[in-house]
Amino acid sequence: MQANTVHITKDNSVRLAAWGCVTPLGDAVGTTAALLRGERALRAVPVLGREGGDPVPLALLDDRALDETAPPTWLAAIKSQFAPVVEAGWGRPRRPVFVTSSNFGVGCLYAYRRSGDPAFLPFGALPRCVEWLRRELGWGESVTVYSHACVSAHLGLLQASRMLQAGLADEGLVFSFDFLSPFVAGGFHALKILNADFPAPYQARATGSIGLGDGAAFAILTRERGDFTILAQNLYNEMHHFTANRPDGAGFASCLAPVAAAAAGRRLWLKGHGTGTLETGRLECDAFARMFPGAPLVGWKGSLGHTLGSCGLVELALAAEAMRAGRTPGTVGSVAPVFSDSVALESFANGAYDGAVCASNAFGGAHAAFLLSHA
Amino acid sequence: MLERFILELRTDDPGAETPAATRERLKGRFAPGSTRRMTLLGMLVGAAMGDLPAVGDDTVVYASAFGEGRALEDYLASFPAASPTLFQTSIHPSGVQQGMIGRQRSVRELFPHAGGRQLAVQALLTAMLAPGPVAVLAGGEERGTWLVEAGAVSDRSFAYAVRLAREPGPNPLGRLVLTSEIGSSCPSFSEPTGETPVPPMPGPLAGETAEGTLSHPAWFELLHHRRPFDGPAAEGWRLQLIWS
Repeated sequence: MQANTVHITKDNSVRLAAWGCVTPLGDAVGTTAALLRGERALRAVPVLGREGGDPVPLALLDDRALDETAPPTWLAAIKSQFAPVVEAGWGRPRRPVFVTSSNFGVGCLYAYRRSGDPAFLPFGALPRCVEWLRRELGWGESVTVYSHACVSAHLGLLQASRMLQAGLADEGLVFSFDFLSPFVAGGFHALKILNADFPAPYQARATGSIGLGDGAAFAILTRERGDFTILAQNLYNEMHHFTANRPDGAGFASCLAPVAAAAAGRRLWLKGHGTGTLETGRLECDAFARMFPGAPLVGWKGSLGHTLGSCGLVELALAAEAMRAGRTPGTVGSVAPVFSDSVALESFANGAYDGAVCASNAFGGAHAAFLLSHA
Repeated sequence: MLERFILELRTDDPGAETPAATRERLKGRFAPGSTRRMTLLGMLVGAAMGDLPAVGDDTVVYASAFGEGRALEDYLASFPAASPTLFQTSIHPSGVQQGMIGRQRSVRELFPHAGGRQLAVQALLTAMLAPGPVAVLAGGEERGTWLVEAGAVSDRSFAYAVRLAREPGPNPLGRLVLTSEIGSSCPSFSEPTGETPVPPMPGPLAGETAEGTLSHPAWFELLHHRRPFDGPAAEGWRLQLIWS
């Protein structure tokens, strides 16, 4: 008895036909240019928005307050800047949508709890938020939703790739969005990793800290169309501790080893997770240095903040844009000394490189990585 | 057509049981002292997955439309002094991570689904496209309190864990077939040969589907009562569930 005849290639390779992102520094082109200039989007904002609290580094879209509105104002930015996402035909069985986020509309639930105003409810509950987005963006019902904290976007990319490789879809739209609210800022502040200090990814200093940022992004994946290829997608989940990684770095190695094997012989640069926490930054640097010796490592959350479940897709869009522009932004916000000689603090020309490894990490010791290369 | 065999199945329907009674019933399934910070959903899903074999390099797919409803409610209520513990446990997919972390059970792939009208079928699709020979599909919901009326958390609790395999093994419990009802032009997607014929089965029962979409609670009921199914389960997808 033959159980299954759908064939999936080992490296999960697909083409990147289109991409885009929106951050407080603009679209993918604008954000990449701003990062190349060393600009920082993070600003000190009261952690509980209008209710005050300690100032913490947050990067909010222009004119957007930390407190959510009903309906959320960020939808306008998505509609105006993501034309390929709102075109007709997405969300049908052959053109499925993969929505990823770690926040969804939870800022509206916070606003409902604090204000009692039921106007927030249609956007707050997770299923209702996705349904609202689906209708606003004109999608059909073939919408898959993943939420796995800060590796969420990678799951959408991988499953879209598998659908394409299995011949079950012609194109896949991966869409990710995370917009800040006192709900998430208050949570990270309570965990004491969001504090008054601005993040300095991979910098060896006394205290670690992160920043948080608004972000949304999309990627259209196909089998044959596009100037870039995504391949060697890999995941690993340590399940060692809710917030800490295994101290021996085994989770990083387990995730990166298959990517390194697939990338053998290529000259690469590395886009790390780089939130600004110390222990994870050290483990990340060590693992990258072992797996990809000599490859320059950058992280962009010192400027943009951590866009949470969307960071994998936001930073994919920026990596692709950097490869198209021929120059990779450095690790904005950090100065020497850093954890590893491979950390690139300044921007560099990337024309001589064959591609980039893009990696993300999440609560629960979750790791995700893929290789982005010219087609 | 995608096909998997059900090798093992665990379900839990607490019904009208109070959360305290459910916790008391399940606490012996976990290491002593480890349940103090676990949520109800974490205990339900953790217990359902607990005695399935270790997964290692397999894929775990987790489905929960609402996730940690009670932790979410309590975390929201903790402001302005936000609780770090409730923040952590309110984050999806805490419901499946609690048990796996407690057992130090690493896994290569974890795909946590959330929300979405097609949650049940999309989770099945994720499990069936996993590259390994075996995948565990687990899921559940947790009945909330003050956010139930707002439709922001689940109004009932349940949990399940299914071990799915490409090969039937000596004693499969059942068989799942997902068929795309939309044409395909890709040569890599083809009908299996030597396939076991699928006998005619009852269509969806009243209340199990809405507009041809199998809801998450309806999917749980099929598993819990080992009820056969043959019908549309999502736009473009037909599901057949045949019990041995």
